[in-house]
Amino acid sequence: MTEKKALLLVGSPRGIEQSTSGRLGGRLLDALKERGFETDKLHVHAVVRSPTETERALAAVAWADLVVLSLPLYVDSFPAPVIALFERIAEQRVGAGRTRILLIIQCGFPESEQNATALAIAECFAAEVGWRWLGGLALGGVETYGGSAHEVLDLIGKALAEGRPAPDLAANKAMPAWLYRIGGNIMWRREAKKNGVARRLRAKPYAD
Amino acid sequence: MNALVLDGFRGEEGQGVLAVLTNALAQAGYATEVVVLREKTIAPCLGCFGCWIKTPGECVIDDDGRAVARAAVRSDLLAYVTPVTFGGFSSELKKAVDRFIPNISPFFARVQGETHHQRRYRRCPSLIGLGVLPQPDREAEAIFKTLVAHNALNWRSPRTAAAVVALDGTSDVAAIARGLIEAVAR
Ligand SMILES: Cc1cc2nc3c(=O)[nH]c(=O)nc-3n(C[C@H](O)[C@H](O)[C@H](O)COP(=O)(O)O)c2cc1C
Repeated sequence: MTEKKALLLVGSPRGIEQSTSGRLGGRLLDALKERGFETDKLHVHAVVRSPTETERALAAVAWADLVVLSLPLYVDSFPAPVIALFERIAEQRVGAGRTRILLIIQCGFPESEQNATALAIAECFAAEVGWRWLGGLALGGVETYGGSAHEVLDLIGKALAEGRPAPDLAANKAMPAWLYRIGGNIMWRREAKKNGVARRLRAKPYAD
Repeated sequence: MNALVLDGFRGEEGQGVLAVLTNALAQAGYATEVVVLREKTIAPCLGCFGCWIKTPGECVIDDDGRAVARAAVRSDLLAYVTPVTFGGFSSELKKAVDRFIPNISPFFARVQGETHHQRRYRRCPSLIGLGVLPQPDREAEAIFKTLVAHNALNWRSPRTAAAVVALDGTSDVAAIARGLIEAVAR
């Protein structure tokens, strides 16, 4: 491997610092930096807002030989702004024949398999623009992970730096799904209560 | 019966397929509204969950996304029409779809062995997906169909069907549109 330039695309609207996507992706980027990669990161939602920013993002994508896309699952696929950026990349075939892409995707439901369609879409994108697909790390119910996801990312960083393929991983946490659902429901009630709307959680504003 | 058709194309290239679908819907007795998403102001979802825990049932962003979400709830049939984009939906369609989560409840439920959400409304529209490709692509088609089926689990749609048509003359678009409508008919 001659080049070591990694670009992290954070695909959560919550931003690079606040989102789980940003934190997980940042951790992998650190692991790569420690192993001699030059790195850069972009918040996808911010760049697709303006044409000049989008052009800058496309230039950053062209600069990178490794793109790490870290994003939340939104209704079984990518958040809309990520699709918008990928449409632009595909139109111009930025990085065709040389860029590699790795996905870190995580979702709210406890089953990591729910990310499967989004992974298939990413692989389809890679094939269409001529990028090399390195696979992805798919996580479910991330809130209950603690440090274990970080350890996995260190392993992936090491593999990538040594030019080995990153493993395809789907990690499920220890908590059973039914318990996760109960805990989640308690959490929603608590959050709504803080906002004074606990009794309106089941409101039907659009009922006819 | 009402059908809400979402036009997820960036330009006019979907007009032919949309006309065929709206005709077929009219023949099946639907009153149809077509929303041309590119002409609407729909900001991307902020990921704040305000639509569940601050203003339950309504997105905190006051733009056309609210009216489209409202129309979706009130329809009997929701139709996504989109260029198949890497096997999935176009960004135009997806910006509206991401804004549909106010229409479901935050509370979790077990649906077909997976975690999903409880319904917010008693009545939910059935969902059809009609994807458009320049020429046939079986892999993209398979992803598209899986995506629509999985969306239907998330929206708790009573019935769902999806198909992909190619614009190279190999697809009988009218027959496919009729097939989709029949598949979700009671
Ligand atoms: C509009 C929207 C759609 C979502 N769709 C799904 C989904 O289909 N399946 C799922 O498991 N989680 C879904 N989630 C939950 C997010 O994937 C989850 O909260 C994630 O951890 C957010 O990561 P972030 O902090 O990086 O934004 C959705 C969230 C939002 C806001």
